[in-house]
Amino acid sequence: MTWLTWRQFRPQAVTSVVALAVFAILLAATGPHLAGMYASSGVASCHGGGCQPLAGNFLTTVSGGYTVVFMLGMAGVLLAPALIGVFWGAPLLSREFETGTYRMAWTQSITRARWMASKLALPGLAAIAVTEGLSLMYGWWAAPIGQAARLASGSNFPLGMSPFSLLAFDAHGVVPIGYAAFGFTLGVTAGVLIRRAVPAMAVTLLIFAAVQFVVPLAIRPNLFPPEHASQPLTANFSGVQSQGPGRRFALALDYLDSQPGAWIYSSRAVNAAGQPVSIMPAACAHPPNGDSMPCMASHGFAVAVTYQPTSRYWPIQWTETGIYLGLAVILAGFCYWRLGRRLP
Amino acid sequence: MTSVIETQELGKRYRRLWALADCTLSIPAGHVVGLVGPNGAGKTTLLNLAVGLLAPTTGTIQVLGGPPPAKPAQLARVGFLAQDAPVYAGLTVAEHLKLGARLNPGWDAEFARRRTDWLGLDPGQKAGKLSGGQRAQLALTLAIGKRPDLLILDEPVASLDPLARREFLEDLMEAIAEGELSVVLSSHLMADLERVCDYLVVLVGSRVRVAGPVDELLATHHLLTGPRRDPATLPAGQEVISASHTDRQSTLLVRTSDPILDPAWTVSGVGLEDMVLAYMRQAAGGGRRRDQLEVHR
Amino acid sequence: MIEFHLDGRSGVAPYMQLIHQVRQALRLGLLREGDQLPKVKDVAAGLAINPNTVLKAYRELEYEGLAAARPGVGTFVTGTLGGGESLAAHGPLRRELQRWLAKARRAGLDDESIEALFASTFRSAAETGEEIA
Repeated sequence: MTWLTWRQFRPQAVTSVVALAVFAILLAATGPHLAGMYASSGVASCHGGGCQPLAGNFLTTVSGGYTVVFMLGMAGVLLAPALIGVFWGAPLLSREFETGTYRMAWTQSITRARWMASKLALPGLAAIAVTEGLSLMYGWWAAPIGQAARLASGSNFPLGMSPFSLLAFDAHGVVPIGYAAFGFTLGVTAGVLIRRAVPAMAVTLLIFAAVQFVVPLAIRPNLFPPEHASQPLTANFSGVQSQGPGRRFALALDYLDSQPGAWIYSSRAVNAAGQPVSIMPAACAHPPNGDSMPCMASHGFAVAVTYQPTSRYWPIQWTETGIYLGLAVILAGFCYWRLGRRLP
Repeated sequence: MTSVIETQELGKRYRRLWALADCTLSIPAGHVVGLVGPNGAGKTTLLNLAVGLLAPTTGTIQVLGGPPPAKPAQLARVGFLAQDAPVYAGLTVAEHLKLGARLNPGWDAEFARRRTDWLGLDPGQKAGKLSGGQRAQLALTLAIGKRPDLLILDEPVASLDPLARREFLEDLMEAIAEGELSVVLSSHLMADLERVCDYLVVLVGSRVRVAGPVDELLATHHLLTGPRRDPATLPAGQEVISASHTDRQSTLLVRTSDPILDPAWTVSGVGLEDMVLAYMRQAAGGGRRRDQLEVHR
Repeated sequence: MIEFHLDGRSGVAPYMQLIHQVRQALRLGLLREGDQLPKVKDVAAGLAINPNTVLKAYRELEYEGLAAARPGVGTFVTGTLGGGESLAAHGPLRRELQRWLAKARRAGLDDESIEALFASTFRSAAETGEEIA
């Protein structure tokens, strides 16, 4: 049965090896030079706060070609689980139903359980290996940019983003393993329920995209309780300041000096007692040099930030991976149960 | 004699339609059993239940003395050729034989290879490129290559041209003559089955109408022609399967084990095809076409 | 070795057709004592009929004393029909028949009437129990 699974999986295996090779060549051609530029930029040896400008400069110098590769690589890693679900998972069992070959496969001398286990195991493990492989290769290549991006996170610099930011988080670490397993088993389940390859592929893509959209917005932020901090106001406020009629104003931060790369949930201006304020004191309304920050600071105003510290990166990664792997196991179990019921 | 397939009030329902109902059969071993009936009569359903691809809604079915095959030991004893002979289009003939060898511990590789050579199948040819007849032959090789005790074929020749059909049946008969093999094959064409079957099951409208050895069926079904008579006046042991009348004459197909003593009848034998057609007409509501010739008094 | 054929539309059971063909072959001299009949497997494969049908015919021939099975080897012709005479030996009967046919034609009967007359006379004679070989 292993031979048959491999033989049926061969076309997909060949395609993925070719894709991996192309990916690897592209990264290998550009990686070393990028690393060299990083080494000479001085960002590596910078610690603590105040690294933003250095990191920002580096990021500016690598814009252009490297940015393109950066984006393409990220897209590749993000798309891999979806493509695996659609092209490996959805046709796996649905083609057998569509062509009727399941009636041959299920009347040989092996049980249906053994048939299913073998059919799922090889491509499933390959899916995880390919996706995580892509992620690691990409991670190695993008490490310099990633470091600098973390230090320069916020909206001030190109590519500046915290490792928690939507796309970056999904493309690094261990979550690709979970996405691959889930995407694959989602495709297989769609194939079992719909029994025709093309509709199963479409449904898999839609559901996978929906899940990948919902989880970072609704589930990921609630996995761990966020922390709270208060950042004092200084001149050259690095966040966003907006003003409205009267003396209305609002402050927002997307970068914490003490925690570069932290995941900012929300931020707002508060007074000395910690209560939210939206009206500027009259004295600060017309500052001498246009910067009302020092005045508001003297009134005890600050920015209250709700955030996830960088130390939570790996716990969130592992928890989310665990959730996706759990979903994959449930889906696989469902398929097992469903096919055991002997439907036509 | 043991039975290869035994059912008690077997039934299968899809949503609100009964594909098979009230099926009670005891098919003996060592025969070539024909399962005949029009399309949609339930033949495929019955065969799929026998090989374990479907689960019954009501009733029970035993195959080779046990439940329909689910464990490897049981699966090895039953060979199945599904309708339209599904094969893996992307795999070659040789790879199909490898499939048989890997998935069946009882696979006879020598026998299978000899067969494909004798049939003229190119081992390197992809199965998707084979003709309909060749695909059926490849699928049959896969079904008998594991040397089963029971071979079940679902409409194996339905989509084949006459030559391929004849060659398939010749080939099947040779395989049977070589070893101890019980065969159940279904068809909606009586002509295919007449030559090869020695046991017949007639399935019309999801129900078994009659079943038995061919000799016995031929001996107990008679065509009676004689003066016009109401079929209800016939003696109790004579079951009227179909009746058609003109104003003067009645033609009845009856089933009985007793001799027919009434001198008014001319008794003649009936071929299997006409017998099956009579049952189909009975299921459809009996002798509608001939009514046009009746003169109402 | 003789070759069998089957008329699917004749209404005669296949095994009976095989028996008839063996008898006919014996009559015409195509089969002689000691000749081997075709193997069951070959007949079944050649005609696409059930091997049991062939076995039944061969067993019937054995019962009539015309053939005998040698296990592992095959089935062989052991007997002959009637007194061992072939059709060629029935010269007088043939000539009598030719005379009768000429008479029937002079009486105005066409081919079909002659056949019908012969068939009904033959059948009624058989029903009254006269021995027909």
